[in-house]
Amino acid sequence: MKKDLVVRIGGEAGLGLAAAADILAKVFVRLGYHIYSSKEYASQIKGGHNYHTLRITSKNISADVNEVEVLFAFSKDTIAKHYEFMREKGVIFVDDSFNVNVEDNKNLVLIKIPVKKLEQELQEKGIINALFLGAFVKYFGIKSSILEEAIKEFFKEKAGQGERNSKAAREAEKLVEKAEEIEIRNNKFDFWSGNDAITLGALDAGLRFHVQYPMTPVSAILHNLAKEAEKNKELKIIQAEDEIAVINMAIGASYAGARAMCASSGGGFALMIEAMGLASMAEVPLVVIEGQRPGPSTGLPTKTEQGDLKFVLYSGTGDFPHVVLAPANIEECYTETKRAFYLAEKYQLPVLVLIDKQLAESFKTLSFHDESRKLSIDFSKKYGIKTKLEDKDLRNGLFKRYQVENDGVYERTLPGMKNGFYTCAGDEHDEIGEIIEEQEIRIKMMQRRMNKLDYIGKELPLQEIYGDKNAEITVVGWGSTSGAIIEAVERLQKEGKSINAFIVKYMRPFMTTEVEEVLGRAKRLILAENNYSAQLGGLIQEKTTIRFEEKILRYDGKNFSVDELYEELKKKC
Amino acid sequence: MLTLKDFQREEQPNWCPTCGNFGIILGVKKALMELNVPQEEAVLVSGVGCFAKLPYWIKTYGFVGLHGRSLPVAQGVKLANSKLKVIAFGGDGDGYGEGGNHFIHACRRNVNVAYFVHNNGVFGLTTGQYSPTSKKGTKSKSSPSGSEEMPVNPLALAIASGAKFVARAYSGDPKGLIEIMKKAIQYEGFAFVDIMQSCISFGKEHDYFKNKIYYLDESYDASDKVKAMGKALEYEETERFALGIIYQEL
Repeated sequence: MKKDLVVRIGGEAGLGLAAAADILAKVFVRLGYHIYSSKEYASQIKGGHNYHTLRITSKNISADVNEVEVLFAFSKDTIAKHYEFMREKGVIFVDDSFNVNVEDNKNLVLIKIPVKKLEQELQEKGIINALFLGAFVKYFGIKSSILEEAIKEFFKEKAGQGERNSKAAREAEKLVEKAEEIEIRNNKFDFWSGNDAITLGALDAGLRFHVQYPMTPVSAILHNLAKEAEKNKELKIIQAEDEIAVINMAIGASYAGARAMCASSGGGFALMIEAMGLASMAEVPLVVIEGQRPGPSTGLPTKTEQGDLKFVLYSGTGDFPHVVLAPANIEECYTETKRAFYLAEKYQLPVLVLIDKQLAESFKTLSFHDESRKLSIDFSKKYGIKTKLEDKDLRNGLFKRYQVENDGVYERTLPGMKNGFYTCAGDEHDEIGEIIEEQEIRIKMMQRRMNKLDYIGKELPLQEIYGDKNAEITVVGWGSTSGAIIEAVERLQKEGKSINAFIVKYMRPFMTTEVEEVLGRAKRLILAENNYSAQLGGLIQEKTTIRFEEKILRYDGKNFSVDELYEELKKKC
Repeated sequence: MLTLKDFQREEQPNWCPTCGNFGIILGVKKALMELNVPQEEAVLVSGVGCFAKLPYWIKTYGFVGLHGRSLPVAQGVKLANSKLKVIAFGGDGDGYGEGGNHFIHACRRNVNVAYFVHNNGVFGLTTGQYSPTSKKGTKSKSSPSGSEEMPVNPLALAIASGAKFVARAYSGDPKGLIEIMKKAIQYEGFAFVDIMQSCISFGKEHDYFKNKIYYLDESYDASDKVKAMGKALEYEETERFALGIIYQEL
């Protein structure tokens, strides 16, 4: 394989596109390649036009590109829809009954598979994906045993179905001549989506209680954990009646001592915000995952956007501390989820992990063990739990749970502990949790809570600069668009441009000094975001003296590709 | 043995004198005492309203959360630590209005939590608007010509939603109230008790209930779901309120 291989699998929902994409990924994982796989789909279960794109490379990537080398056309209109993206001399696998005549000035190779005929011969239906896969591996010189293993893994216990698909694939192999060679690389990868990475991060952090109401794009977290709970009896999973119940139930479980998490998209999170204030006021540890999709209202429910940053930052009544972490790629979905559990427990407040559809539902190859080494926190011990009470900890037989003097150490008792009584209160309260209205106590309690942000700020690592830190131009971004930003900037660096990228990951507490210093070094700043109003730009302008003149904004429901961003930046350089 | 003093806090309730909540808080303390529930194992969860301050004045673990949301919190507590005795408190506005959805689904989910609703038919803490259990035509600050909505029937709603323990009690009869509370706390599953109470400032006077309540006798078969539904609906016709366990699945 000379360069990146980009395979797109397009057609109507319900034809097995996802299975084809998954099996193909399994093939390339076995061959030791890096893969970044994203999907575009409509909010319907059958029909419509969906497509999966697999970018297969020899290096670690986190973004899509424009050009496609191989297209699996599951429906007739797939070719017309994706022709403009086809690379010169690209390959299209197509059902011969579609009778396609491509007006082709790209010298494309059209591989027509007699799907109907083979289905009749094999007495099978719905095997178009297996046929395309068989033809594909033959064409690219991949051993059929590797495809068979991938199919077997995909179908797991449904061995019979796997067998029939492998047989169909072998038939298709006979129809195609080998045209390429793919070398095997010596890598052992796992293949994760952002949702998978969050699931694993939460489990590694000792998650005991997860509650969720299904919502795109984070339903897979609920599915993953429900499956995990089948074998892990210490893990409790609840599908609650609505997102208000979701967050309040998680708060109850956490108050009682279970490491708890909940997840939703913007619309569901909108229902949670009163309880975000409760968790912060009552000082209950809580991890909330927010997977953005384009709003307002139902918006574009299966597309991507970074439009909820300001919403999650200011989601609540009054001034209260909460933390907002924004992972920039799938590996950080894992590490930042773990960090979220640590901070939530130690500082007893809600921590929000902000992702989006692009991060949640895209997949990439990673080594699970490498990631778990990156953030080493001992989750076998509990943080902030009072295990021994002395006289000075009590007032009238109640535990001074909300002590004003704390030096950044926040401690609670768990229900069940003798003499540790207090009231966990959403009302303003004194040190034992008694409801109060005295101004003096109110001021002290506000300070007790808000000071947490300063302590947390001291625990956060530096955010990354990609390229020479003294470059003339700095491109600023966050979250899922970071992959495209970093790769586009690297291309420009290779062309000799003095440019770097800075990715903001910690939204609250905001690292004012660090951001001011990094961005202050650049002669020019370019902001790239996946929203209408440049929300990160707004945040930086609120917190620092930095101002943005140049912005690249996209809010059509799609993520930047590396190529698009490269072209935009090139025009500005 | 525990005494009432063990459950006493320094701070005193600030409800209106003779409020029905005094009967209920005494009932909770006595029920816990008589059942010998260690203080540290009791978790009282409430929301917002006059009633909701109750956990501030009993020496156990307490959680005072958001309006209408005591049930999700209480279920979360119990699911996280099954050793705890968890009692959720609601009001008629809090539990049947704001938190109505949670009520339906808590009945279905059947987590081992007792749920006591202080039902006085009026919004007390917001100074006297009609509530989800006010009779149609109730005149109040927010319904000067009389309310237009039908009142919700909490017992019928609970039975229809799959609850397996459904009871009614009256705050003005401590003895009967404590017995019903004890049964609800001991029940292994979601146990719902609608507690009728007066609101001396904005709602019904204590006298209102005098000739309207009666206790179910031993001949009543609480395991008959259809009859239980009839009993739950009875007061709509007769304005007589049956007290005791209306429905309990065998």
